[in-house]
Amino acid sequence: MSQLLADDGRTHVKSGLMRESLVSRKLLAQTDAETVKVMVPDVNLIAVGGRSIMDRGAEAILPLVEMIASQKGKHKMVIGVGGGARARHTYAIGLDLGLPIGGLARIVGSVEENNRDILQFLLAPHGGITFIKEHFQDMQLFLNNGMIPVCIGQPPYHFWEPPSRDTSGIPENGPDVGLYQMAEVVGARRFILIKDVDGVFTDNPRRNPKATLIPDITTRELLERDLPDLPIERELLRTLDNARSLRQVQVINGLVPDNLRRALNGEAVGTIIHSSRPAAGAAR
Amino acid sequence: MSVTQKRDGKIWIEGIDNALSEESLSGRAGRARYADRESVSVLPDLWVLKIGGQSIMDRGGAAVHPILEELVAAKKAGIHYLLGAGGGTRARHVYSLALDLKLPTGVMAHLGGGVPNQNARMLQLLLAQHGGIMCYPDDMEKLPFFLNAGCIPICSGMPPFQFWEKNSAIGLLPSNRTDAGVYLLAEFLGAKGMIYIKDEDGLYTDDPKKNPQAKFIPETTAKALLDSEQDDLVVERVVLEYMLRARKVKQIRIVNGLKKGRVTAALRGENVGTLIRAQ
Repeated sequence: MSQLLADDGRTHVKSGLMRESLVSRKLLAQTDAETVKVMVPDVNLIAVGGRSIMDRGAEAILPLVEMIASQKGKHKMVIGVGGGARARHTYAIGLDLGLPIGGLARIVGSVEENNRDILQFLLAPHGGITFIKEHFQDMQLFLNNGMIPVCIGQPPYHFWEPPSRDTSGIPENGPDVGLYQMAEVVGARRFILIKDVDGVFTDNPRRNPKATLIPDITTRELLERDLPDLPIERELLRTLDNARSLRQVQVINGLVPDNLRRALNGEAVGTIIHSSRPAAGAAR
Repeated sequence: MSVTQKRDGKIWIEGIDNALSEESLSGRAGRARYADRESVSVLPDLWVLKIGGQSIMDRGGAAVHPILEELVAAKKAGIHYLLGAGGGTRARHVYSLALDLKLPTGVMAHLGGGVPNQNARMLQLLLAQHGGIMCYPDDMEKLPFFLNAGCIPICSGMPPFQFWEKNSAIGLLPSNRTDAGVYLLAEFLGAKGMIYIKDEDGLYTDDPKKNPQAKFIPETTAKALLDSEQDDLVVERVVLEYMLRARKVKQIRIVNGLKKGRVTAALRGENVGTLIRAQ
């Protein structure tokens, strides 16, 4: 039974954190755990690229929709999507107008909603439904009724988007981070990022023909390489680095739709990025 | 002929070509083109204040009423502010329960939003006759209306990250709690200043509640605090980290709300409590 204490003028509920500032590193270290409880462990989060897939129109989207539909019943899936060209345009205009970073983060989600609604429409014959953050805790309801929830990727940081590490004031958190975070918090089975390249390369493969595919790498290694550009958000690497549940993500080429089937079945297509954080039980 | 124009296989609109269209948003070159960019201030005359949960709210009427009197007087004197509420001991209780169950950080951040919201609603009830009005995350765009109508907007200090709160490197507790939420809001608004109302005069060399030898620090920098590797801090660590990268709110003030007149003095720009500059 909880106990109330008021000996220092403040009424405390007796708990392990009573009177603590919750800032002390010593205290925080005592609150750590290498694994946490999971919520929807058999779901696969699939991130469909905005610029890489959606902007390509029917020729890229329709075969991918067919592939997603064909995997229904074999795998539980939540589909997330980015904004693509219209997100870039939003940022370009917003930057020109001098909007603060929180303003940019607040407005960019609307163009993702367009893409979500398009994918939901196309997947509707197969159970596609729109999935909004207010229904996050209803994920099991939709999945167990054979639906394919389709959501936006941008995390709801909105006006609270933290200042960027560089001085550009361009949000570092985009759909890759938002969807990974959903996968991590539910303890999903897989997080698959569908792009228009075979994975992460040693350099931009469109500009440098000598660039080679990196099949397997850790977050720290990839961050240390400090590549000038990446097919995924750099912030995703920092986020994955602190994983407690979902310790790897997979980047695949969605222009070859069968890659999705293979990735869902655990095949090592594309690039697999592992969290550098050791799994439970491993030596640190 | 198709009405859909494509370039490199992607649907193109005239005018969509811009510095960000050639590479991903993580690309160094595109971001570098916007280095040191200026941004507008959204509400530069607005103060953002935070009333501590454990430090003020949990003390009840003896602490809360005198602070609200000062705030009402400040409002009548024409000072505009947004009032954020902290969580306090009930938040600590639910975090303890969640930690015991090893629930993920995102779930804790979701749970952690409940208590600051309670505190905000308590403040709204108390300030209703003076214009106190709840301002939820989706209401932030209505701030000019609330202020022009003579209202005192009140919000939960918790940022709306909820399940999207990222894991921390150390510990399962969410890093972005109510100190961070109000700071990020102040930074977005380009606010006049950020004041934390607590139950200590400001910053000390150690926790003054536990160590009577701890010395008061009237002024310091976020950088010095982070570099000092001090175990405990007066505000959430991420606030200091954000201050180093912030474009607008480059200092915060901590004042003792239990001492009459301190909040008013801080709103007048007087040097009370501890001032933390970015660097």
